[in-house]
Amino acid sequence: MKIIAHGAEAIIYEDRNEIIKYREKKGYRIDEIDSDLRKSRTKREFTILKRCAENGMHVPKPINISDNGESIRMEKIEGVQLDYCFSLDLLEKVGNMLANLHKIGIVHGDLTTANMLVREKNLFFIDFGLSYFSQKDEDRATDLFLFKNALKSRHPNEFIEAYGLFLSAYKAAAGKEFKGIETHLRDIERRGRYHENG
Amino acid sequence: MYVLGTESTAHTFGVGVVRDGEVLANERDVYKPVKGGIIPGEAARHHYELGPTILKRALEKAKVSLEDIDLFAFSQGPGLLPCLKVGSQITNYLSAKYNKPVIGVNHCIAHIEIARKVTELDDPVMLYVSGGNTQVITFENGKYVVFGETQDIGIGNLLDKVGRRLGIPFPAGPKIEELAKLGKKYIPMPYSIKGMDVSFSGLETFISKILDKYKIEDISFSLQETAFAMLMEASERAMAYCKKESLIIAGGVAANTRLNEMGGKMCEARGAKFRFMNKEYAGDNGAMIAYTGYLMKDYKQEDLTPRPNFRTDAVKVTYR
Repeated sequence: MKIIAHGAEAIIYEDRNEIIKYREKKGYRIDEIDSDLRKSRTKREFTILKRCAENGMHVPKPINISDNGESIRMEKIEGVQLDYCFSLDLLEKVGNMLANLHKIGIVHGDLTTANMLVREKNLFFIDFGLSYFSQKDEDRATDLFLFKNALKSRHPNEFIEAYGLFLSAYKAAAGKEFKGIETHLRDIERRGRYHENG
Repeated sequence: MYVLGTESTAHTFGVGVVRDGEVLANERDVYKPVKGGIIPGEAARHHYELGPTILKRALEKAKVSLEDIDLFAFSQGPGLLPCLKVGSQITNYLSAKYNKPVIGVNHCIAHIEIARKVTELDDPVMLYVSGGNTQVITFENGKYVVFGETQDIGIGNLLDKVGRRLGIPFPAGPKIEELAKLGKKYIPMPYSIKGMDVSFSGLETFISKILDKYKIEDISFSLQETAFAMLMEASERAMAYCKKESLIIAGGVAANTRLNEMGGKMCEARGAKFRFMNKEYAGDNGAMIAYTGYLMKDYKQEDLTPRPNFRTDAVKVTYR
């Protein structure tokens, strides 16, 4: 098995042309928190990937969970992370795909350009480690908010245009649900971060 | 070059003096509400009343007089407006009286600059934890960017709110830390991390409902373990995402031993560096304002009024 990525939370291995995502033990947490978090997140991530795949979304198809409950085996997507092949014409796809994800009742929870893969002009969402099931406007707005910030910090020069493209595609795909989400988005932006003009 | 800096964003009134970036004096006094949380007007009164004494003490310690000061710096925000006004007014007055320039410094950036100086870690992720502020800050593209933060209340605020319910006076952090050491049983609590951000209000509500069911030591222990683990996770995510190799914890809550221990363990596992902030500079202080003022000595500033919502990424950093 070869390590292909070592993130903040998990180690990603490649094994027989498949991916294994192993959630590492964190020594800074007490065992009670650590063990519960790693197992529940692994299980939830598996269920979410399954729901996405069943709905025809572009995600790595899950294969199984290890016996100790700490790893997921999944399909390998041969792609490039979006932050390494960033291009404005992919942003509409992101917006469209996020709206579809929300429609099937899933909030990604960690939407950054590093968590998207591009393979032959197709976009894949990966790393559902912080995802959860929710239909709430507020939670959906959190996804938009997080992605906006990720764009701003990672792609500051293209930020305004990129966010505009993303948001209008999201809005179009979300339809009449967008209004409520937008209200919450404004609310999160107000209370979360300092805003000079109110 | 001598720079005098004043800090007055919240509870602390501090005055620091630096000479060519080296700290000569760092004096302060902290307003403590008799009961309950901070009352901004009362804190401001404290600052007005003690301001002149602290200023005098700092000058004596630094062995300089006001005539020697080349630049006056003040903490421009973010913070409570009545408190911010004190530092701003004193500084602008001194600047006019001695005909020397004045500069407004971002409080959060001052924390990271003094931390970089004291720890000698050049490009860290900073976990900034105080009463009102909980932010994970890092340097990207010529600015300090808030990578993650609390979506509701600050960690210090959470500790104080829980403390009030447990009958612990402000600031509750040290007492909760002491109690937590005696706690043995972990009570599962809501662990809320959203991407790079954390959220503490759910934790507060949860604790308010279980107060009479568990021992105060176990509540304190579980609270610290849960909230701090969330902060560590957010910090680690920022380090991984921004590819930074070191961590600093600053702000009032940085005095907590357990939080630092967790920081050390997290960094060790990543092969990253972690250094303690010494107490003198971890909490709010005037030296960090004077020092950052010194770094910003060539800045031309038009707006010298307090900015209660001053954003960390609003300052273009040209000195680093």
